[in-house]
Amino acid sequence: MSLLALFQWCEQSGIGDTIRRSSWLFPVIEAVHLLGLGLIGGAVLVVDLRLLDLGLRRYSVARLARDAQPWLIGSLGLMIATGGLLFMSEAIKCYYHGAFWFKMASLFLAIVFTFTIQRKVIMADGVGVSPRWSKVVALVSVALWSGVGIGGRWIGFS
Amino acid sequence: MAARERAVAICRPEITELKIADFLMQARGTSLLALLVLLLCFLVIAPTQASAPMVQRSDELARQVHLISSDTAGGKWARLAHFGEGAPIEASLLQDESPATAPGGSLLAFFQRMGDSSWSTGLHESRYAYDLIESVHVWALCLFFGLAVMFDFRLLNRTMRSVPVSEVARRLLPWTVVGFVVMVISGTLLFSAIPLRSYQNIFFRTKMIMLLLAGLNVWIFHSGVYRRVASWDVNTVPPRAARVAGTLSLVLWVCIVLSGRMIAYNWFDCDRQPQRPIVNFLTSCVPTASEH
Repeated sequence: MSLLALFQWCEQSGIGDTIRRSSWLFPVIEAVHLLGLGLIGGAVLVVDLRLLDLGLRRYSVARLARDAQPWLIGSLGLMIATGGLLFMSEAIKCYYHGAFWFKMASLFLAIVFTFTIQRKVIMADGVGVSPRWSKVVALVSVALWSGVGIGGRWIGFS
Repeated sequence: MAARERAVAICRPEITELKIADFLMQARGTSLLALLVLLLCFLVIAPTQASAPMVQRSDELARQVHLISSDTAGGKWARLAHFGEGAPIEASLLQDESPATAPGGSLLAFFQRMGDSSWSTGLHESRYAYDLIESVHVWALCLFFGLAVMFDFRLLNRTMRSVPVSEVARRLLPWTVVGFVVMVISGTLLFSAIPLRSYQNIFFRTKMIMLLLAGLNVWIFHSGVYRRVASWDVNTVPPRAARVAGTLSLVLWVCIVLSGRMIAYNWFDCDRQPQRPIVNFLTSCVPTASEH
């Protein structure tokens, strides 16, 4: 099955159809999606600000990350669930929309980066990690997640 | 215990800084909030009647297509493409009645004049400026809302339990202030692009009222229980007043984000008649006879 066929199948699915038919389902799901974005923003920024030496400086990065982790995973789950529903309702539009692909690429990179390179730096907890490298990692993380959020916003612009 | 003492020792010296930053966040509100939320829920759930034809000033159309994402007729998402076909013709038929005769007419007239200014029309007709400002608004939402929520969660003992509350406040709240300032500036710009419609939008009004309540909550928190923070700083469970403030803050900001997102939808707009009388009352809308 080609990618386009898959997207067409999503668009024609019962879920996609139900959301399209309703005048309030899409807005409500979208609003929850936005809340999830805010939550991710908080969970990511608490850790990244710490890595940048701008946030909770006196507190161990590893512990801070452990505290923020459930919120990151939880809101990511919420985002993917609501985002999936939104996608089902307008899959074809997404297929032809550059912002959608930009967002997906950013999302993929952001997730991979967060759970590999960044996680390693965080777990090292400052031991054997230069402050400059910590900051670079934090900036890359902020940039990637920003790409996800802003790319998402632009899917809504024609 | 040792960790506790260390935490106290660490942050005592700087507890008092950050007055303004603290001021902008957190605290407690009133039962008005519950009423407003109920009202909002009612308005969202209540079915709108058959839609009247879209009547807009043609110069607003280019911008409105971004905002109007639903039309009740077929539940289809009206996008630029759809609008290109039919709406401009309808738009050209409209009568340009002055809403200045409505209650609160002077403000309406003021926002109408603002909407007619070259700044406003330029902004809402621009190809990218409006979208860019909106992106900034969303980005700053992560900074402001995300960190404010993390602070609320600390008050509710849901995260960063071993960090003293004052430490979280001192390190995170300045960032929420930065986010808040960016949100207010970008939000004001967005408003100035579509002032009249926004002013009459029920979700916009709800959002503004809740913003005031959220500000009140911040003020009460910081002039009340937070002044005694030294006595409960390292408690994993802060005192009741602080938890109430955290809960109210969470509820209010969530509702503010939700209603902010809903401003984009035109279910209760003045140019979609007939509406329930309560809706027209709440939006200061006086439909002309031809709209019934």
